[in-house]
Amino acid sequence: MGHFGFLKDPLWLKTLFKEAFGGGFFGFLIFAVAMGGICYWLRGYDIFYHALIDDLVLISKTLPRVMVAMSVAALVWVMLPRKYVSNLGGRQVGISGLIIAALAGAITPGGPSSAYALLAMLGLSGAERGAMVSYITAWALLGVQRILLWDVPFLGVEFALLRILCCLPLPIIAGLVARRLPFKLVIKAQKKNEVSD
Amino acid sequence: MNIGLIILSVLLIILVVLAVSRSENPGPIVQRAIEQFSKLVPRMFFALIAAGFIAQLIPQELIAQFLGKSAGLQALVVAAAVGLVVPAGPVIAFAIAVVFAKGGASSAALITFISSWTIFATHRILIYELPLLGASFLRLRVASVFFIPFVAGLLALGIGFLTKFGSVILSQ
Repeated sequence: MGHFGFLKDPLWLKTLFKEAFGGGFFGFLIFAVAMGGICYWLRGYDIFYHALIDDLVLISKTLPRVMVAMSVAALVWVMLPRKYVSNLGGRQVGISGLIIAALAGAITPGGPSSAYALLAMLGLSGAERGAMVSYITAWALLGVQRILLWDVPFLGVEFALLRILCCLPLPIIAGLVARRLPFKLVIKAQKKNEVSD
Repeated sequence: MNIGLIILSVLLIILVVLAVSRSENPGPIVQRAIEQFSKLVPRMFFALIAAGFIAQLIPQELIAQFLGKSAGLQALVVAAAVGLVVPAGPVIAFAIAVVFAKGGASSAALITFISSWTIFATHRILIYELPLLGASFLRLRVASVFFIPFVAGLLALGIGFLTKFGSVILSQ
C-alpha cells in the first residue's frame, strides 16, 4: 500500500487536475463546441448528429489502445534508464555510428524534453554531427513510443508499419548529409562553457 | 478488438512480466501512467470530436483533390506544406491526419504529412531545440532533413505500386 501513497497526496491530485483540465484544455473544448455549432448550423441536425456519434464510436475504439499504449510507455520510462540511452550514442565512425545513434533515438522514451536533453548531452560528450542528426531524426520519425501511442491508435497498425518501413533509412541518410555539409557547428551549451573559462 | 489493440496488449503483458521479474516498484509506473493519461486524454477527446466536425465541414472533394491518390506527387507537396505549418503537438497533428484520412488522402500523402510535421515541429524548435542546442545546430539539422518528408512519401508511393498494404484503418 505504501507504493501507492501518491494517490492520497492532495498536492499531487491538485496538480493532476490542473494539468488535465487547465490551460490548453479549455481551448480544445471551446474549439470542439464551436466546430460542432458551425457544423450544426451549416449542415443541419442530421449530419451533426451522425458526425457526433461517429466520433464517439471512434473515440471508444481509440481510447483503449491509447490507455494500453500509455501503460507501455510508463513501463518503458521507468525501466529504461536514460543514461543507458545516452551512452549508446556518439563515437563510432562510419555508418555503424549512425545506425547506433538512430537505434538510440528510436527507443528513447518520453517527449521532446527528454529527447532534446539527451541530444544536448550527446553533443556535449563529443558526439559527431552525423550521429546527433541521426539520433534526433530517428526519434522524430521512428520513435517507438510515439508510434505506439499515436500512429497505431489513430491510424491503424498497417499504416504504422508502412510508415516505419518508409522511414527506416531516413535517419541514416540525414546523418550522412549532415556529415557532408560545410556548416560550422557550435553547440550552444558548449559556447557557454567556453565563455565562462 | 483489433490487431492494434492485440499487439499493444501483448507488448504490455511482456513488459509487466518483465517488471514483476525485476521486482519493480509499481508506484512510479502507475503514477507516470496516470499523469500522462490526464495530460493527454481530455484534450484528445475534444480534438477528435472537433476533427469529426471539421471533416464534415471541409468538402470531401477538397481533401481528395489535393491529397488523394489521383493527386499523385502534388499530394506530397501539399502534405509536406501543411505538416510544416502545424506548430502543435501530436494531439492536434494526428487529429488533422484523421480528418485527412477520412477525406480520402492517400497513405503516401499522410506519411509525408506526419513526417513533415514531426521533423519541422516549429513549437519544438522554439521550446527545445534553440534553447538547448542553438541556432548553429538547427541550421545543420534543417539542411540535413528538409527533403526527408518527400523521400518518405516517394518510398510510400513506390511501395504502393507493388502492394496495397498500408491503408489507414480508422475504426475496425
